Amino acid sequence: MKKSVLIFGAALICAFLIVGCVPKQIYYFGNYSSTLYALEKDNNEAAMVAHKQELEKIIAESAKRNLQVPPGINAELGFMYVKENQPDKAISLFQAEAALYPESTLLMQRLVQMAEKKKSEPQDTLSATEATPSQN
Amino acid sequence: MKNRLCICISLLAFSLLCSCVPKSTKLQEFPGVYEEQPLSIIILPPMNESTAADAKEYYSTTIQEPLAYTGYYTFPYPITTEILKMEGIYDSELLKDLPVDKFKEYFGADAVLFTTIKKWDLAYMVIASNLTVSIDCSLRSTATNQELWKYNGTVVVDLSGGNTGGGVAGLIAKAIVTAVTTAMADYVPYARQANARALFSLPYGKYHPQFNKDQDVEFIDQTPEE
Repeated sequence: MKKSVLIFGAALICAFLIVGCVPKQIYYFGNYSSTLYALEKDNNEAAMVAHKQELEKIIAESAKRNLQVPPGINAELGFMYVKENQPDKAISLFQAEAALYPESTLLMQRLVQMAEKKKSEPQDTLSATEATPSQN
Repeated sequence: MKNRLCICISLLAFSLLCSCVPKSTKLQEFPGVYEEQPLSIIILPPMNESTAADAKEYYSTTIQEPLAYTGYYTFPYPITTEILKMEGIYDSELLKDLPVDKFKEYFGADAVLFTTIKKWDLAYMVIASNLTVSIDCSLRSTATNQELWKYNGTVVVDLSGGNTGGGVAGLIAKAIVTAVTTAMADYVPYARQANARALFSLPYGKYHPQFNKDQDVEFIDQTPEE
């Protein structure tokens, strides 16, 4: 009995030491760099989907871990929604970015304007692809 | 055994050397960063001076994440480059000549990060082959146009070691060689390492707990001698 208490105590001390030593992560970036690299390397639909899912995962995981979503992530996902012709989703993400990082306000305003413009455009897919700058 | 002695002696020599070199701090090296305290950084498409044509695209995917971790607001690279492309300026050589205050005006960036890929290659020699990734980084203020920080991050990986004589070290070296060659000499992990070396010397930004507390941290030059 005593022995187990002792072990437990030692384990606790160890845990405290470890926690104290490890610098606190300020962000959760998941596999961001890897999926972005894959997107750059393969430049296909599958890589695009994977990168988008990674961005969504980063946002969800950051909330779960009580961390601020890393700089640029909300905006990047929003930019993807603009291209997919979902300007409303895009706008709320740009606004989230500006709320988290006031430094981004000017660029986010420009992006919101861009998305608003898209909204007023006819919604047929043809014009959407034309308006989207070419990949690469 | 002889090997171990060699290592000991060189370690001793190294530590002696280290203690002789006058130390400098981040504040002494990069006073501009502390004066201006830039909060946001726009990363420009890298300039490529290496012989590898694809280095530019690949390298560009490695820098945003570690820069964000140093505490700066990093503008989303995929968006900013696309905007620049729409404006007809993707060629980094053109970007170099652009007045930096334009980046303040358009994006609201406090500073601009220029990166130049100096080396991204494999050198084959008779008994050895080296993979080198070398990146020059330069941070310029959009308010005063002064260079706030610069550093060269270089990583040289020795891919030889096929015949290092037996022993554990030889085996490990061999394993690394196999791993690297099967990965078709993937440069990106080494580019990440080079970034880490470079960014280690950059004073922390607003979103890092050490922001404005690292003035006295020693500046360590990790650039390997040519």
